[in-house]
Amino acid sequence: MKQLKTFFEPFGIISKGNMLALVFIQIVLALGLWQWLSGGLIPPPSKIIGKVLEIIKTGNFWDNFFASLMLTLKGMFIALFIALLVSYLSLVPFFRPLAKFVIKCRYLTLTGLIFAFTLLTSDGSQLKLSLLLFGIVPFFVTSLLSVIDGIDKQEFELCATLGMNKWRTLWEVVIVGRLDQVLEVMRQNFAISWMMITMVEGLSMSEGGLGTLLIKSNKYIDLTTVFAILLIIFLIGVFFDYILGALRFWLFPYTKIQLRDK
Amino acid sequence: MTYQKTKTLLKAENIGLSYGDKVILRNIDFEIHDIVRPDLCQGQVVSLIGRSGIGKTQLFKILAGMNKPTTGKVTIGDDMHEVREGEVGVVSQNYILFNHRSIRKNLEIALAHNNKNYTETDKKNIIKEYGDKFQLTEHLDKYPLQLSGGQRQRVSILQQALTSNSFILLDEPFSGLDALVIDKVVDLLIKVSTLDEMNTLIIVSHDIENALAISDTAFIMANQPNKVGATITEKLDLIDKGFAWNKDIKKEAKFQDMVNDMKFKI
Repeated sequence: MKQLKTFFEPFGIISKGNMLALVFIQIVLALGLWQWLSGGLIPPPSKIIGKVLEIIKTGNFWDNFFASLMLTLKGMFIALFIALLVSYLSLVPFFRPLAKFVIKCRYLTLTGLIFAFTLLTSDGSQLKLSLLLFGIVPFFVTSLLSVIDGIDKQEFELCATLGMNKWRTLWEVVIVGRLDQVLEVMRQNFAISWMMITMVEGLSMSEGGLGTLLIKSNKYIDLTTVFAILLIIFLIGVFFDYILGALRFWLFPYTKIQLRDK
Repeated sequence: MTYQKTKTLLKAENIGLSYGDKVILRNIDFEIHDIVRPDLCQGQVVSLIGRSGIGKTQLFKILAGMNKPTTGKVTIGDDMHEVREGEVGVVSQNYILFNHRSIRKNLEIALAHNNKNYTETDKKNIIKEYGDKFQLTEHLDKYPLQLSGGQRQRVSILQQALTSNSFILLDEPFSGLDALVIDKVVDLLIKVSTLDEMNTLIIVSHDIENALAISDTAFIMANQPNKVGATITEKLDLIDKGFAWNKDIKKEAKFQDMVNDMKFKI
């Protein structure tokens, strides 16, 4: 009874087993409710799961899946490189305005820039990549700058008392000292890029991708396939989220010490 | 007790600090001298004692070269040059360490920035030796967040001691510690001060009893009637009074009388 109470208390800490049970029960309840309430246009979960199993057996799906995954990973790494460069340089006063401008670019809508990007790029692949980069770099930089701004001033003072020069301080505190948080930012922003990928693939359908599959299915109002693809996209996203989280704990074991319910 | 006060190691001259119209510190003057005792490696332990909020941390930062005073200057070294950031070690109240590095690496960083060119073997040996001395051996491969406050404080002090800075400033080193741990900290600070003849610990604290018990010289910081800004109102030569270098000094009635007296002066 006491343990049950912790399930509903603020800051309640429950065991890993209990948490897994809680997740399982809530998923079963949600799916049950969906199955019971579905009808008409919205397909029930049983039908969607059946469709998922059918889709993943086709070669066409895997071609599209790898096209999306490769584009996302390529976009992510280039975006991360640009974002890290802009963020680290933001500590040099000369580059601060550039960083400030990049984070404001979050408010620029991609739709309005498609034509300009089409003119500037030579093929569909480049168009998708540049749209993806333009879409995620500002979010990356925003998150990275917030990590940098959150650094305790005393850490910089510690470096000074240890006789480090400013470049060495930048390396120790901002670059090496925050690598774990860069990975966390990457994990959070992977979701944004994974979400955006389907959108940019819809803009240039020549090379396929999950976005192309989605648009085609939507066009024929094949909602079971749409929901099945969405479920696959969702599960792949969750899988990568888990992998990046686990990678963070493995590469930077000290990050686990800081967790409240480690 | 035979001792000699020789050359000036640190001099604070007419230090004043204001933010706009608000005067925080004024006319702060004091000197720290090298204390020489025959056949002993005797460093210096100096306390700056004042109540909370009086501007001790501001003075602390000025002494460390982190902040510039509005007036006056702090000079150190044989040539009495103006203090620069990095020349004075700092142990902050919350014992800041590099949380992404193990304790061993934290200490290695300090040695890497030491002006002596140690080989990798030297570094290993030094860390082993000091790890033993400071009761940190079993914690060397842990991360700072895995240590208790007292252990972190020991690492922090050792880290600064290993940089070869002769001056180490400690901000409220007794704050938030229980009596037993305070005794350990006192032992540790005495150990650090006697590692090298030139080692000078400057303790900034509001804990009169513990600060006086460990020091050879203390400066009382307080406000004076009808004057704005804190200044040094009294200098206590604890060697002269016979209170320095005595582990059991807190048990002596005369020492306690002085502590009680000081409570009304800060």
